[in-house]
Amino acid sequence: MDRQITVFPMPKTGKISLVVAPRGVVQTLMSMLATLAQRGRVIVLDGGNCFDGYALARALRRSTHQVQAALKQVLLSRAFTCYQLVAMLAELPVDGTPVIVLDMLSTFLDENVHFTKRQRLLANGLNLLRQISAGAPVAIWARTRSSPVGDEDRQLLIPLLETAHDIWELQAPHTLEHQLPLF
Amino acid sequence: MLEFTGWLLDLFEDPREGLVLYFIDEDGARRRLIYPFPVTFYALGSDVELRALWRHLSNRPREITLRRTQRMDVFKRRMVMALAVTVQNPYEVSKVFRQTAAHFPHLEYADADLQVSLRFAAKTKAFPLSRCRVVADEDHKLETIDILEDAWVLKTMPIPLRIMTLSPDVAPHHARPHYLKAAIGDEEYHFDLQTWRPLLVNLRALIQRYDPDLLLTDWGDTWLLPRLLQQSEKYHIPLGLNREVGRGVSWHEERTYFSYGQIVYRGQQIHLFGRCHIDRQNAMLWDDYRLDGTIEVSRITALPLQTASRVSPGTGISSIEMLTALREGILVPWQKQQAEMLKPAADLFTADQGGLVYQPHIGVHKHVAQIDFVSLYPAIMVHFNISPETILPDPQGDNMVPALGLAIDTSQDGLVPKALRPLLEKRIAMKKYLASKPSWDPFRKNFSRRASALKWLLVTCFGYLGYKNARFGRIEAHQAVTAYGREALLRAKEAAEDLGFEVIQLYVDGLWVQHPDKTQPADIEPLLLEIQARTALPISLDGIYRWVVFVGSRQDKNRPVANRYFGVFQDGSIKVRGIDARRRDSTPFVSQAQMHLLELLASKDQPEEALPEAIAFLQERLRALRHRQVDLSDLLVRQRLGRKLAAYRTPSPAARAVLQLQSVGKEMRPGQRVPFLYTLGRPGVFAWDMPQRPNPQAVDVARYQRLLLRAAGIVLESWGWDEKRLTEKMLSDASQLKLPTLPKPHPEKHGHQVRRLTDSQASHALSGP
Amino acid sequence: MGRTLPSATQLMLNEEAALSRFRRALRRGDQLVFDDLFTAAQKHISAAAYAAHALPFETFLMAMLIEEHKEVMRLRKIIEVLQEMHA
Repeated sequence: MDRQITVFPMPKTGKISLVVAPRGVVQTLMSMLATLAQRGRVIVLDGGNCFDGYALARALRRSTHQVQAALKQVLLSRAFTCYQLVAMLAELPVDGTPVIVLDMLSTFLDENVHFTKRQRLLANGLNLLRQISAGAPVAIWARTRSSPVGDEDRQLLIPLLETAHDIWELQAPHTLEHQLPLF
Repeated sequence: MLEFTGWLLDLFEDPREGLVLYFIDEDGARRRLIYPFPVTFYALGSDVELRALWRHLSNRPREITLRRTQRMDVFKRRMVMALAVTVQNPYEVSKVFRQTAAHFPHLEYADADLQVSLRFAAKTKAFPLSRCRVVADEDHKLETIDILEDAWVLKTMPIPLRIMTLSPDVAPHHARPHYLKAAIGDEEYHFDLQTWRPLLVNLRALIQRYDPDLLLTDWGDTWLLPRLLQQSEKYHIPLGLNREVGRGVSWHEERTYFSYGQIVYRGQQIHLFGRCHIDRQNAMLWDDYRLDGTIEVSRITALPLQTASRVSPGTGISSIEMLTALREGILVPWQKQQAEMLKPAADLFTADQGGLVYQPHIGVHKHVAQIDFVSLYPAIMVHFNISPETILPDPQGDNMVPALGLAIDTSQDGLVPKALRPLLEKRIAMKKYLASKPSWDPFRKNFSRRASALKWLLVTCFGYLGYKNARFGRIEAHQAVTAYGREALLRAKEAAEDLGFEVIQLYVDGLWVQHPDKTQPADIEPLLLEIQARTALPISLDGIYRWVVFVGSRQDKNRPVANRYFGVFQDGSIKVRGIDARRRDSTPFVSQAQMHLLELLASKDQPEEALPEAIAFLQERLRALRHRQVDLSDLLVRQRLGRKLAAYRTPSPAARAVLQLQSVGKEMRPGQRVPFLYTLGRPGVFAWDMPQRPNPQAVDVARYQRLLLRAAGIVLESWGWDEKRLTEKMLSDASQLKLPTLPKPHPEKHGHQVRRLTDSQASHALSGP
Repeated sequence: MGRTLPSATQLMLNEEAALSRFRRALRRGDQLVFDDLFTAAQKHISAAAYAAHALPFETFLMAMLIEEHKEVMRLRKIIEVLQEMHA
C-alpha cells in the first residue's frame, strides 16, 4: 500500500502542501486520505462536490477490514459557495486534526459574486488555513481545468501558490498550452 | 378624508412620495395613494466595525436613522446585536445599502434586498391584489389599511380588473406581423402595423377611454412594447402605457440560467407603473394556470402581479419564506453563510440519495391501484418540522431522522414549516373541493388553475431547501426530507404486503399495488388507512387502472425505467408519463397519433379489440404524411438549445436549426426552444422562423414515418405490434415509399478510456492506485 | 444541489467496467452468463441504493444470488410437478 507516497508525501504540521492537478487526482487523494484515516481523525472540506466515498472505501478495504470504523474517522463538509467554504474554515476545531481541502477554488469561480469580493474571501480563507496549519497538517488541492474560466483561474491560484510551502503540479498533456507558472 | 373598499393593484417606491399605491375601488374608481414608508436593514458584526459604520452614516440624519438593537438570528438560534439602519424613503434603500456594503465589506447584512411589497405586507398584512378597507387623508396619504380576505381564503371576491389584450397577428420572430389586435371585453380592434401614426393615435385613445388595469400582451416584453415605445418617441405621441405620470417604463434584461440541472431562458421584461403588464409568451407557466393562477401566486407570495407573473416557483417560495421571516422578526440574511455540518464520511452514503424508485416489470398489468402521498415532501417538512434551523448539530434522544444521524428540534415551529403549512392546507382543501364537485361547478376552472399554481410552489419548495443560494436552505434539511420520504414509502410497501397486495411499482411518492380480489376503490380504503396510520402522512387513491403498461427506456426497450408508463383508469380516463404524447419536444403529428391510439385502446373492453382500427388509423396517417396532407406546423419539433453553439462538437438538429437562424441574423440563446422541421439533404433541418417558407416537398417523410411508428410501437407492443412488425406491415401495404433501414442498435459498452499523461509520476498519480 | 456520490446505476456500470478485462478473457458463452448476472442484479438496484453500502459490490453479489435462487426455486417446482405427473 501507500503507493501514493511516492507521489506526494503526507502533509505535516506547520506546513501547507498544495497539489495543482486535474480532476483525476481525486483517486490518489482518496488513498492518501485512507492512510490518514487509519491513524486518526481527518477533516475534509470539499469545495468541488468531488469527494469520492467509494474510492476511499476501496482504498481502505485494501489495507483494513475495519472500513466502516475508518470511514467514521473522516469528517466531511461540502461547500457549494465561496461564502460557505470560508465559513467552514472559520468554524473548524483547532485540535491538531489534519485538514484536507478538495478543489479549493471551484466555488470562487462564481460569477454571481463580485471578483474583488471573492479575492477578499479567498484571502480570509487562506489566513484561516495558515492559522490552522500552525497546529495541524494541511493539504490543499487546486483543480486545473481543460478550459480555464478566463484569467480568473490564474489570478485565484496565485495567492494559493504564495501561501503553500510545498507545491506539486501534475498535468495532463492536452492542457499543456494553459500551463500555469509555479511562481 | 377618503374611505373605500377595494383591491390593492400595484405598489412601488417613488423618489418623492416614498411609496405609491394604486387601488381598484369597488365603486369603479381607480385611486392613487401615497404612503411614507421608512424601511430598515441590519448590519451585523463586531462592535468596533458597527461603531465605524455608525460614524459613517450618522451625518445624514434626515435620510437615515440609526439604532442599536437585538434581532433573532434563526441559524445561531439566539438574539444577536445589530445596527438597524432605517432609510426614510424606500426608494433610496438599495442605493444606501450598496454604498454601505461596498464601504464595509466585512460586515454581514440582513433584510437588505427585499421587495418593498414584502415589507409592506409584513407591516400592514395587505398584499398585492388583496381586498381591503382603506382610509386616507385629503392629501391621499394612506392612513389605515385592513385586509378583508387573507391570502388563504378559498372563495375570493372576483377582482373587477379592466383588461386590454394586445397581440400581433403572427409570432414576430416567426414572420413579420401585419396588424395589431387590441381587445377589451367583446370589442376587438385591428391596427395596421405598417402605418404607425394612426396606430399610435388610436391606441392612445383606446387606453385613455378604457384605462385598463392590466395590459395582457403576446410578445409584449420582447417585441411589442419595445416597438410601441420606440415609435411613440419617434412620432412624439405618448401612449400613456403607465398610469403613473412622469415615470418611464422599467426594463429588465433577458437572462439565461441553470435551474435544477436544466438550462432556462427568460426574455427581457417590461414593467409598468400603476398599470400591470403581463406578456403571456414570457409569463411563468401561463399555459398551465393562466391569470387565475398568476393572481394566486401574486397574493400568496406578496409579489406585485407583474413580478409574480414572471418569477420562477423557486423565487415564489423564497418570497413566502422571507415574508414569514419578516413577520416573525427573524433576520433575512443577505448572503447565505451556513456550511454543511462536519459529519462522518460514513453518513454520506445514506444521506446523499434521492427518493426511492423501483424498476417496474415491463408490460401490461391489470387492476392496479395507484396510491399517492399527497404533496409528500412539503407534507414531510410540515409534519416533521424540517427547516434549516431545526436540524440539530448534536444528534441525541428523540426525533432522529431515519438512518441519517441527525435530530430535529420540535420544541418550536420551524420557519419553513410555518411558511408552508397554510400553502399545503390550501392546496389539499382545493383538491378536496374539486374532487367533490361536478364538472359544471362554477368555481371549478378557477380552483383548478389556482391549485395548479400552488402545486408548482409546493413541488419547488423541496428543491429550494437544498439550493445553495437559498436564504433559508440547508443541505441537511434537504437530506432529512428524502430520508423521511424513503421511510414513508417503505412503510407503505410493508403495509401493502401485510394486507396481501403485490407491489408492482414504487416511485418517490406513490405506489402501484395489485390484489386479485381487491379491484374496487372501497377495497383499497383499509390499505389507505393502514398507510396513514404507519406514516402519519396524508395519502390518497389516484385511481384503479383497468390496465397499465410500463415501458422500457428510449435507448433500450428491455431496460426498465421508473417513470415511463401509460394506462386507463376504471372511469376511462387515460394517464400517460414519459412517452411522446407527454413530451414537450415531440411533434404534434406524432404525439397526437400516439394519444389517439391510446384512446382507441381505452375505448374497448379488451384493448386487443382495438387493434384493427389502430392499424387502419396508422395507415391513414402515413398516407396523409406521404401526400403532404399534414399541416407543416404539426410536424414541428421543438427542442431546447442545450448549450452555446460553440460548445457543440457535432451540432444537434436544434443547434443546426439555430445556425440557420444565425445566418439570417436571428440570435437564439441556450435554454430557448427552437422549432424546426426535419428535411431531406443537408443540413437535415429547416428552422421554422426562417424568413422564407419551407418547401413541403423537402420534408423528410421517412424520418417522420419512423418517429410515428416508433411512438405507435411503444403503445401497441404489449399487444403484439412492436415498431418492427408495424414497419413491416406498413411497408408491405405501401410500396410507393422505400423505407430506410432501422437505426442500428446501440454499440456495446466500452471500458473507461485512460488518459495518458506526459510525466510518468503524474500519470501514476492521475490514474489512481 | 448536485449529488456528490455516483448513483447506484452508475456504480453498477463502474463495477462492470472494472471487470471488463475478466469478461474479455472469458469464452463467448461465459461472457453471456456474465452479462446475465449483471442484468439480474439490475433488478434490485433500488434496494442496493437504499442499502447505501460503502462497498456496493457486496450488495450487487447478493442481488445476483437472489435472482439465482429464484431461478433454482422455479426449476425445483417444475421438477416436482414433472415428478408428480410421472409418479
